[in-house]
Amino acid sequence: MNMYKLINLLWLVLLPLLSGAQIDLLPDTIKLNEVTVSANLPLQNKDVIDYYRTNHFATFDNINVRMEGMSLIKRGAYAMEPQLHGFSGGQLNVTIDGMKMFGACTDKMDPVTSYIEPTNLKNIRISQGTNGSLTGSNIGGSVDMTLQEPDLDASQYYSSSLGFGYESVSQGRNVLFSSGFGKKKWAWGIDGVYRKNENYRDGQNKIIPFTQFEKTNLHSVLKYELDKVNSFKADVLYDIARNVGYPALPMDVSKAQAILAAIEYRRNGKAQLKAKMYFNTVLHIMDDSKRDSTFLLENKHTGRTDTVYMHMDMPGRSTTFGTYLQAERFWNLKNKILLKFDNYINHSIAEMTMHMNRPETGPELPMYMQTWPEMLRNVSGLFIQNTTFFSPEFQIAVNGRMDYDLDILQSEYGQQQFSIFGYTLEKKHEMLVKSLNLSADYTLTHHIQFGATVGYAERLPTITERLGFYLYNAYDGYDYIGNPTINPEKSDFARIDLQLSRPKIKVNLSQTFSYIQDYIMGITDPEIPPMNFYTNGTRVYSNIPSARIFGTDLQLLYQPTKSISLFMLSKFTLGELSSGDPIPLIPPFKNIVSIKYQHEKFSVQFENETSLAQNRINKSHGEYQTPAYSLFNLKGNYTFSFPKTALDIGCGITNLFNRTYYDHLDWGRINRPGRNMDLFLKYSF
Amino acid sequence: METIFIKITSIFLISVLLFSCTDDNEVSPVDPLDGFSKLTEGYALGASAKVEIWGQKNFFMGYNKLIVVLYDSLNQKVKLTDAHIHFLPLMTMNMNGMIMKHSAPVENPEETAINEVFPGAVAFQMPTAMDGTWKLGVSVHNHKIDKEGEAEFDITVDNPTPSVMTVFSALAPDNNKLVLSILEPSKPKVGMNDIEFTIHRKASMMDWPADDSYTIEITPEMPSMGHGSPNNVNPVSSGNGHYKGKVNFTMTGEWRVNVVVKKAGQAVSQNLYFNITF
Repeated sequence: MNMYKLINLLWLVLLPLLSGAQIDLLPDTIKLNEVTVSANLPLQNKDVIDYYRTNHFATFDNINVRMEGMSLIKRGAYAMEPQLHGFSGGQLNVTIDGMKMFGACTDKMDPVTSYIEPTNLKNIRISQGTNGSLTGSNIGGSVDMTLQEPDLDASQYYSSSLGFGYESVSQGRNVLFSSGFGKKKWAWGIDGVYRKNENYRDGQNKIIPFTQFEKTNLHSVLKYELDKVNSFKADVLYDIARNVGYPALPMDVSKAQAILAAIEYRRNGKAQLKAKMYFNTVLHIMDDSKRDSTFLLENKHTGRTDTVYMHMDMPGRSTTFGTYLQAERFWNLKNKILLKFDNYINHSIAEMTMHMNRPETGPELPMYMQTWPEMLRNVSGLFIQNTTFFSPEFQIAVNGRMDYDLDILQSEYGQQQFSIFGYTLEKKHEMLVKSLNLSADYTLTHHIQFGATVGYAERLPTITERLGFYLYNAYDGYDYIGNPTINPEKSDFARIDLQLSRPKIKVNLSQTFSYIQDYIMGITDPEIPPMNFYTNGTRVYSNIPSARIFGTDLQLLYQPTKSISLFMLSKFTLGELSSGDPIPLIPPFKNIVSIKYQHEKFSVQFENETSLAQNRINKSHGEYQTPAYSLFNLKGNYTFSFPKTALDIGCGITNLFNRTYYDHLDWGRINRPGRNMDLFLKYSF
Repeated sequence: METIFIKITSIFLISVLLFSCTDDNEVSPVDPLDGFSKLTEGYALGASAKVEIWGQKNFFMGYNKLIVVLYDSLNQKVKLTDAHIHFLPLMTMNMNGMIMKHSAPVENPEETAINEVFPGAVAFQMPTAMDGTWKLGVSVHNHKIDKEGEAEFDITVDNPTPSVMTVFSALAPDNNKLVLSILEPSKPKVGMNDIEFTIHRKASMMDWPADDSYTIEITPEMPSMGHGSPNNVNPVSSGNGHYKGKVNFTMTGEWRVNVVVKKAGQAVSQNLYFNITF
C-alpha cells in the first residue's frame, strides 16, 4: 500500500465512498474492539470529509459546514468560527490531536480551525454534548482534528503531488503540495497550501470590500517506528495569514500567525499508550489602517460636529504548552478502561492602543488598555472511562473528568483596570470543573442500533468572559466586559441515536438536549458608559439562570446502484433562554442533498444546500430575521492515469443560479459570494 | 509552597531589621522630605530660627503642599520642633498705577512638628506676572525661647499646564468668590484613583478661609472618545475645605474631569473642568 494512503486516494480519483468494500466493513462498527462510544455512527465524519474533499481546494470551512450539527459563524470570507448546535467559543473544545490551542484575538477572529488546512488533516472527530470530555472540559461538544501522518512501509517509497486551483468569484489562486518519503522504520511527510483571494462579488455582481485574504500553511511530520510496539512522531506546523479582511467588523487583520510543534510516543501493546508534549504560539495583529476611521463626534460644549481621526493597534498573543498521557486496556474480558492525564499552561495577553489625531489639534497621547490582561492559565485534568461489553449487542460506558484550573493574573494593570468596577482582584483564582457521563449502545437487530447518553458537565469560563476589558462586539454593537468571579457553565445533557444500516442505505438520526445552568452571556449594565462612539452600551458577562438547547441531525447515505450515490444531511437547532427569549445566533433548519454519479475515472456531483428562514431571533442581542435560501452546486472531475503518475482535472460551479443571500450566522448580513466557477489541476507522481 | 516561602523570607527580613535596629536605633524609617526639594531658605529674625521651605516642585498656581523645616539659627544642627508657624502670602499688583494687595488661602502647620518638620499648604490663586509679584512671609513663634519673628521670601509662582486650580465667582444666590484646587490624583493611573479638591472662599482681600459648606460632583470623560467611566464617587467634605472621592480612568490618554460645585443642592459653577493626562 502506498504511503499517504489517504491523500493519494483522495487526490488520485474521487473516493469510491460507497464501494462494496466499505459496505462490507459495516459490521466493524459493532465489533467490540472497534467501538468508540462517543461516535458510534455508521456514517463516520471521515466519510463526509472524503465526500467533499474531492475539491482539493475546499477550505476547512467548506467541510465543516457539511458535518453533523456544525454551523459556522461568519465575520468575513476567512476564519469562520465553528458552532455545534448553538454551542461555540469556550463551550466547545476544539483540539488538534488532543492538543489545546487558543486563538489570540479578543474578537474571535481567529478560531483554532483557521490555523489548520484540510490538507493537514487525516480526520475530524466531532462529539456532541457533554460526552466529548476526553480532550477537555466542555458542555457543548468537542471537535478533535487529527493531523495527517505518513504510513510506514517495509519498502522504500516516495510520492508527491502538486495542485493548482482558481476561483472566479474572488480571483482566488491556490497552490497545494504534498510529499512523502518512507524508508523502513522512518517516514517523513510534508504538506502545504498557499491561498490568495481578492474581494469576492455577490449575486448582484457587487464587490464586497474587505473579503480578501492571503495565507500560507506548512505542515511536516516525522515518524519513527522502533519496533512493532513502540513508535515516535513529531509534528511541526506553521500557518500565516496576511491582509485578511473582515467586512462585518470595524477592523481587519494584518497578520495572524501560528506555530505548533509536538512530539508523541505511542505503544501498541496489550495496553495502548499515548504520550504527547506540545507547544504552540499564536500571534494576531488587527489593523484598521485601510478603514475610514473618521468618526463624526458631536462636541458637547460647542454643539459642533468635529471630525476626528482615530486608529487602533490591537495585538494579541496566546502561547500554550501542554502534555498528556493516555492509556487504554482491557482489564478483564468484558471491561476496558481508558485513563488520561493532561495539563496545559496558556499565557494570553491582548492590548489596545488608540491613536487620536484631529486635524485641528494634532495627535493626542496614545490611549492604552489591556483588553486581555496578561494571564497564565494552568489546567490539569484527569479523565477515566470504563466500557463494559455485556454482550456483542450491548455495552455501557461510564466516564468522568475533573479539571483543576489555576488562573494567575500577571498584570498589575489588569488589576487596576478592574478596580474601576469595584473588584479587588486576587492574583490567583481557582476553579474546579467536573463532568460525568453514562452511555449505552444496543444493537436491536442486525441492522438497527440504538444509543443513548445522559451526562453532566461544567466548563471553565474563558479569559474573555473573566477578564475581557471593553471588547467591542460588532454583532450587537455593545462593548463587553468580563466578570472575574463568573461561575462555570453547567449542563445536563441527553442524547439518543438511532441507526439503520442496510447494504444500500445508511440512516442515522440523533437528538440532543442540553439544559444549561449559569449560562454565560452579556447583560447590559446601564451604569457603565460605553467606550466607543459607535457602541450601543456596555454588557457584562453574567450567569443567567438557565438555557435550553435542542438539536437534531438526520444523515442518510443511499446507493441504489454502484455508480450513483445520494447523501443527505438535515440539521436543526432550537435554543431558548430562561426568560423565554431565543438564544442568539441559532442556525435555522438546514438541509444538504448531494447526488453523485461516478463511472470509472469520471464523476459528477450535484448538490443542493437549503436553509429555511430564521424568525426566532433575539433582537436585543443584535439579531435580524434572515430569509431562506436555496443554492445549487455542480462539480465534475476526470482523472488521466499514466504509469506511476496521474493528472486530475476538475471544475465546478457553486451558487449555480447566482443567488444573492446570506446566512443567519453571518455577522453584518453581508452577502455571500455569487456564482463561482472553480477549476483545479493536480499532478501526482 | 508559596506560604512557606513567604514565611521563610519574612523571618529572614525581620532578623535583618532587628540587627540593623540594634546598630543604630535612632534612625526614623520615614523621611518626611521624601519627594520634596528645598525651594528657599532664610532667617526669621527675632525668633532665632532659620526657615527652610520645601515643596514638591517650584511654587505654582494651585494647592502647594509646603514643608517648613526650622533650625536654631545659633546651632544649625538642632531642629526646632515646637513652634507656631503662619504662612503670610502676599500678592502685590500694579493695575495701571493702582497698587492692590491680597493674600492667598493657607493651611498653617500644627504647633508640634511631625517627624521634626512642619507640613502645611498655600494655595496661590494666580501666577507671578508682569504686573503682579508674590512674597511669602513665614512667621515663627519659637516656643523654645518664646520669641516671634518673620522670614520673608520673594518667590515666583508658575502657571502649570494643565491647570490645577480655578478661581470663579459662584452663581447667585451664593455670589462668593471661590478658589477650587485639585490635589489628587497627583500620579494618575488606569483604574481607581483618589480624587481630592479644596474649596476656599474669599472673605476679604486678606482672608481666604476653607469652606466645607459646598458639595462637589464629578464626571470624568475622554473628550476625543466621547466616553466617560463608571463607578466614580463624588467627593465629600472631609473638613478644612477638603473634599475626597474616587475617580476611574479606563485607559491612558487625555482625560477631563468635569466638576459641578453646588451649594444647598443648587449648582453655583459653570463649565468647570480639569484636564488629566497620563
